[in-house]
Amino acid sequence: MTSTRDAVRDRREEFAFHDDLVYLHEAKRGLTRATVEEISALKNEPDWMLQFRLRAYEHFLKRPMPVWTDGLDRIDFDKIIYYRKPSEREEKSWEDVPEQIKQTFERLGIPEAERKFLSGVGAQYDSEVVYHSVKEELSKLGVVFMGTDQALLEYPEIFKKYFGTVVPPEDNKFSALNSAVWSGGSFVYVPKRVDVPLPLQAYFRINGENTGQFERTLIVVDEGASVHYIEGCTAPIYATESLHVAVVEVIALANSKVRYTTIQNWSNDVYNLVTKRAHAYRDSRVEWIDANTGSRKTVKYPSIYLREPGATADIISVAVAGKGQHQDTGAKAIHLAPNTKSRIVSKSVSKDGGRATYRGHVKVAPGATNAVASVRCDALMLDDLSRSDTYPYIDIQEDDTTLTHEATVGKISQDQVFYLMSRGLTENEAQNLIVQGFLEVFTKELPMEYAIEFNRLVKLEMEGALG
Amino acid sequence: MSVPPLKLPFLDEAAARHRSRTSDEPDWLLGERLDAIRRAQELPAEANQLFTPYLDLRSARFAEIEPYAEAGVAPGAEDAALPPGASVLLHVREDAVVARVLSPEARNAGVIVETFAEALDNHAAILRPLLEGSASVPETDAFAQVARALSTLGVFIHVPDGVSLSAPIVLRWSAGTPGRGLINRTVVSLGADAHATLLEEQMDVEPERVEAAAAGAPATQCLWWGTVELHLAERATLDVAGEQNFGKATLAVVNRHATVGRAAALRWSLASVGAQLHRSRIDNLLAGRGSSVRQVEIGFGDGNQLFDLTSYTRHIGEDTTGDLLSKGVFLDTARGYIKGLIEIQQTARGTDSFLGEFSMLLTRKARSVTIPSLEIDQPDVRRASHSSSVGPIDETQIFYLMSRGVDRDTARKFIVLGFLEPVVARIPLPDAQDRLRALLEAKWPASAPIPNTTAA
Repeated sequence: MTSTRDAVRDRREEFAFHDDLVYLHEAKRGLTRATVEEISALKNEPDWMLQFRLRAYEHFLKRPMPVWTDGLDRIDFDKIIYYRKPSEREEKSWEDVPEQIKQTFERLGIPEAERKFLSGVGAQYDSEVVYHSVKEELSKLGVVFMGTDQALLEYPEIFKKYFGTVVPPEDNKFSALNSAVWSGGSFVYVPKRVDVPLPLQAYFRINGENTGQFERTLIVVDEGASVHYIEGCTAPIYATESLHVAVVEVIALANSKVRYTTIQNWSNDVYNLVTKRAHAYRDSRVEWIDANTGSRKTVKYPSIYLREPGATADIISVAVAGKGQHQDTGAKAIHLAPNTKSRIVSKSVSKDGGRATYRGHVKVAPGATNAVASVRCDALMLDDLSRSDTYPYIDIQEDDTTLTHEATVGKISQDQVFYLMSRGLTENEAQNLIVQGFLEVFTKELPMEYAIEFNRLVKLEMEGALG
Repeated sequence: MSVPPLKLPFLDEAAARHRSRTSDEPDWLLGERLDAIRRAQELPAEANQLFTPYLDLRSARFAEIEPYAEAGVAPGAEDAALPPGASVLLHVREDAVVARVLSPEARNAGVIVETFAEALDNHAAILRPLLEGSASVPETDAFAQVARALSTLGVFIHVPDGVSLSAPIVLRWSAGTPGRGLINRTVVSLGADAHATLLEEQMDVEPERVEAAAAGAPATQCLWWGTVELHLAERATLDVAGEQNFGKATLAVVNRHATVGRAAALRWSLASVGAQLHRSRIDNLLAGRGSSVRQVEIGFGDGNQLFDLTSYTRHIGEDTTGDLLSKGVFLDTARGYIKGLIEIQQTARGTDSFLGEFSMLLTRKARSVTIPSLEIDQPDVRRASHSSSVGPIDETQIFYLMSRGVDRDTARKFIVLGFLEPVVARIPLPDAQDRLRALLEAKWPASAPIPNTTAA
């Protein structure tokens, strides 16, 4: 706990820059059929992918904007640049990465992190994976960890077998948009019975004003294998609105274990609209550990479809909504087979007029006998300008389901603040510590360095907000 | 992606004008109807985006139904007998008030029990402000606006300031004539410091047909579509108990809307057993400082019944309390959609609010949807929470009862009836309470003898 009393630098300031970089290819603003064809042609994609993109593009045009959450109509799709390619080809080793981009990553701290404990790095610089390295032992184990574009060309069979099967383009308006213009993201394949010993990590950044970022991540974990994937985001701050529309697909085959951890800290002008979904097969276990502190508006409900008996879903969702922010987040657990289990824990903090919304769906379909599901939502509101909503949907169609749902909303207990202040903390420190404690269910699931970083982020969010 | 408006063959302006004319209504009331017609025709059938996936009117055949165009008080209604233990009986059978009796106590205290037509002649000063400007039904609810537009019978009950009625007011509705329907409104107002109990009974006009309909051929449907609009002045208290036991071919649409004044207290205890489709919406507006509502609602469905139960509670005043509990038990292919929204507005400091939605599914094809939602703009609360659970009957409880010599089926029945008992125990008249117990027990499909439950 002493770390909480250290002077913390504002690390977001450090990341709030953008480089004057000459893009080798920059698509025109706005989205047309020609944009989609051009992206596909530039990437030398097989025809099936072009057809997939075009099908998604048509659906995107037809699909109305969702109305159940507000503010999305402010996005001007014609102002967005849909594709950028900062360097000609993917680089295999760190030495080959262009100097300017390397500097950006130096400032993000990637090399240090890699030295310390990471087993692989896929770093996305704008729309393309530019740097990528996989440690020797992972290659030997047969683990594939590379940019999604590269995987399409190098692993066409496995790619085609799974791509778009978990989140079809027609799923929602934004999955259609991503499917039409996707670029970059990570591809992970873990072979049977391989246990990836250390987390795989990817850093993402949006650089460049009005650049849409449409990465696509596909993770296939074969029978009996296990992996932990971590993504974290930072982005430069710009006045005009940026758009981040990602799709993440996870396939957890029988007896596998997958954990996917996200720390989302986009700058406060980004619309972050992400479809994340996993298919969990027999006796597998999927965990989404998802934190959202940045962005202007995030719409994201990590989902797990429990498709075969014995599968388990575990979702921890954390949101911090500050001034001008709306975190519309939550989770979905869809029980489709007997003896499946799900647990959802959601914690949200709203302050300075921010709005935190939990939206969740637990469904037990006919045939999914003996399902067990639990949902726990807690919200902390730090002032009366802020807002907290809870919208849980619970749809049960089997008589032997056991489901519990609980939610509470409240403010910081003044007794706790008083107690901590009597121990020598300032009011701000006390409140900060209480918020950190409230979010600990999330923090304790993180690797240590991330946990420290996340606590610093929370502290940063809290500073100036209170007292 | 919003839901289209309601499609009802009988929803037209001419019908609204006709009803207004035949009841000799003043122009302002016709204006209310015309405003409501426009809303009912234009509003989406479900205006709340949260709940649109769970609007299901597939079982309703509105085209079969011709609502009554006129209604009134039958001759001899004043000569009916008052049920033992009641202070007022108002019985509406199909399109006529067939009984209206007040105890001497109620009459002497100045309790008003009138149709809108009568009340607009005798007590317009009290009734008009309660009807004008659509304040007493939800403005964006298409179902409520249909009642406001087309009601053929209005009932007005008023308990004056300071009057305390010890015995319940019984409001009885019998309906079920195939192809017909009654659209109606009930306005109940309690003056300051008034205390009363209201028992609302909704039943089939020919109870024996309940059996016949359950047995087979799809019967021609009928309709009961009404509102209960409550106004509680400061420090008033009202206990409302409701028993809905319409026939299985009935479409029952109910809007209950309560405005609760300073330090006033409202209690709802509502049980629904009958109807093919029961769509109910309750709105509690906790407007006054220190006002409170306690609501317990149960639904027990079998066959292919659908209970669509929504509850909105708005905390507006300071130090208000909401304690809301909904429970559903579903057999066969019955379904329950239990939806709730608690809204704590910025003015509502010191709120204590709880919303619970619990379901028990007794067969594999039954389905339960629960949506207990919260929207909170004021963190200075005593409590703001909700909980929900869906589960099978606890095997350890069955085991315990079986170890006491009760057979398995009877044990299950005991546990289910115990789950529902909190509402039954709050029905005010002993006769009505026993009748509800019998109805719940009759839902049980097995041939096991009815356990002898004890009155609470």
